[in-house]
Amino acid sequence: MQFFMFHLMPYPYLPADFDERESAWVTLSNSNYDPTVGTGLYNRYLDELEYAEELGFDGICVNEHHQNAYGTMPSPNLMAATLVRRTERLKLAIVGNGLPLRDHPLRVAEEVAMLDVISGGRIISGFVRGIGDEYFSMSIDPSISRERFSEAHDLIIKAWTTEGPFRWIGKHYRLNYVNVWPRPLQQPHPPIWIPAFGSTETMSWAAEHHYTYLSVFAPSKLLKRWFDGYREGARAAGYEVPRDKIGILLPIYVAETDKQAHAEGRQYVTWLYHKGLKHKFEHLFPPGYMSDHSWGRFLQSGLGAYSDVSYEDLVAQGYAVVGSPATVRERMAELAEELGFGLVNALLHIGDMPHDHTIRNMELFAREVMPHFREQSAAA
Amino acid sequence: MTGQNGQHTAQHLELGGGRIHVMRAGAGEELLFLHPAAGAGFWLPFHGLLAEHFDLIAPDHPGFGESDRLEWIDGMDDLVYFYLDLLDALDLEAVHVVGASLGGWLGAELAVHQPSKVRSLVMVDPIGLDLPEHPVEDIFAMNPDELRAALFVDQELALQFISPEPDLDMLMRAFKEKTSFARLAWNPFCCNPKLHLRLHRVTAPTLILWGSDDRLVPPAHGERYRELIAGARLEIVDDCGHAPLLEQPERTVEAIGRFHAELATPGSR
Repeated sequence: MQFFMFHLMPYPYLPADFDERESAWVTLSNSNYDPTVGTGLYNRYLDELEYAEELGFDGICVNEHHQNAYGTMPSPNLMAATLVRRTERLKLAIVGNGLPLRDHPLRVAEEVAMLDVISGGRIISGFVRGIGDEYFSMSIDPSISRERFSEAHDLIIKAWTTEGPFRWIGKHYRLNYVNVWPRPLQQPHPPIWIPAFGSTETMSWAAEHHYTYLSVFAPSKLLKRWFDGYREGARAAGYEVPRDKIGILLPIYVAETDKQAHAEGRQYVTWLYHKGLKHKFEHLFPPGYMSDHSWGRFLQSGLGAYSDVSYEDLVAQGYAVVGSPATVRERMAELAEELGFGLVNALLHIGDMPHDHTIRNMELFAREVMPHFREQSAAA
Repeated sequence: MTGQNGQHTAQHLELGGGRIHVMRAGAGEELLFLHPAAGAGFWLPFHGLLAEHFDLIAPDHPGFGESDRLEWIDGMDDLVYFYLDLLDALDLEAVHVVGASLGGWLGAELAVHQPSKVRSLVMVDPIGLDLPEHPVEDIFAMNPDELRAALFVDQELALQFISPEPDLDMLMRAFKEKTSFARLAWNPFCCNPKLHLRLHRVTAPTLILWGSDDRLVPPAHGERYRELIAGARLEIVDDCGHAPLLEQPERTVEAIGRFHAELATPGSR
């Protein structure tokens, strides 16, 4: 089992009347952001990610979100740039760059290649479409999101793997000279990770390319459907997916006892799902962001808003794992058995968790949970 | 074929690579109705009223109502060329045009691209102009309650058009139409930033109708259209929001009727 430490870098200081606001995204005014506080937060959060190296994690994850309080990394490549110079061994997963949200895919190809070269080949390149809200925040037509994603991906991979200059004549991008300097260090290119929300289109696309498939926040019974769908899609394409190419994003909070873990963790998990992930429905599902088919499937799934799920149900349904080291070990073993993942992106800073609890959470997880699964993989 | 009892014919044309739903009723001079961004494919009371005076031709735009989405249509100019093909396919030399909201914008663009095809133009609360000082509200971000409040004065009536409990079919249809609308109007948002440079090409006699309480598109858009189209007239439909053909069908069709009566009287304009 591989373990990556995931961080969202939220801005936890929401206005007092936040529960009456429609969302933590798009329309929550940035007047609520205090840059002086931000200086402390960014540096603290980066310290936490860097500490993962000392604790023996395999890697760390940064990601891209725009104009919200949930995650303050509009440029994941900038975060990666500060982290590669302060770490030596850790893999650095950018999960990912929001391809359709960018005007120029070559900018992504260049920056990720730079990071790969600077880091000595420690970069994992995730690609995402961005969430629905971001099509409002960036005024990109959501109905062409998937084709922009697909074309930008093809262009970036070709730019990394084909000697330039070459010409690219696509529907969304037309370029006479594609000739990216530097080329990436890892050959043929950095590993690709694809975080996804269960759409059949993404499943079969990722399977076709043999990419690592990552889940996002959802109950475990839904994750099972997604991972099974991915494995089936791959099998149909004549490919047996290894466990380590299926990754779960999981908020995890470990404390000395179950009682203490819940007493402290309730607030953090609730902040994440009820505040940070509070969306206006119309923002989260803009027109054409999903195919008509996937939209129909989603409507029939009856999946409600995160904010409607109580803390008890969030824990019971596998949206988060909270407990003593023994409980967390057991629960994770159960989930790994049920879902068949071999990669854990552990969200060990959750919501408005303070620094001391984050550090203790990371330490308990690294010392009392991770080794159990390492030994198991070694034995297997 | 008469519009009076809600009778109309419906056909599916093969055009542009897909099946296009066209409703038709009435007799007389041909009038092309261009629908707004939602609710296409339903025969409504105003259709019947218009068909009392005209040979009413009411297609569903590609990707709306019962018409297929055509993947090559991803902007207003594509839709304009589609409609020029549609007029040819139906063997229509020149038509009267009535368009509402998105359809009003489309009507103006048609009259810009091919003035000879448009005998007269009625735009009902059209979007299409780029007026940064008077922004159109973000209809894509509105929930059903907000939509009803933005589109209608009469909130009881609004419930008939925007159901509080939509079934799966309605949700699927709304998603399809919003997706097709996004391709035309997400960015630039609900406008063609160059339209104002082109409206001098419109030669058709033009009437602009505006709901007195349109909370979606500010009335400044109607005034600007009137300034930019030579000889255009602007009339207000009272007690009415963004959708006069739904909220005040009799009054709106009467206004259209008066306009056409004047056109028929030599020397009246």
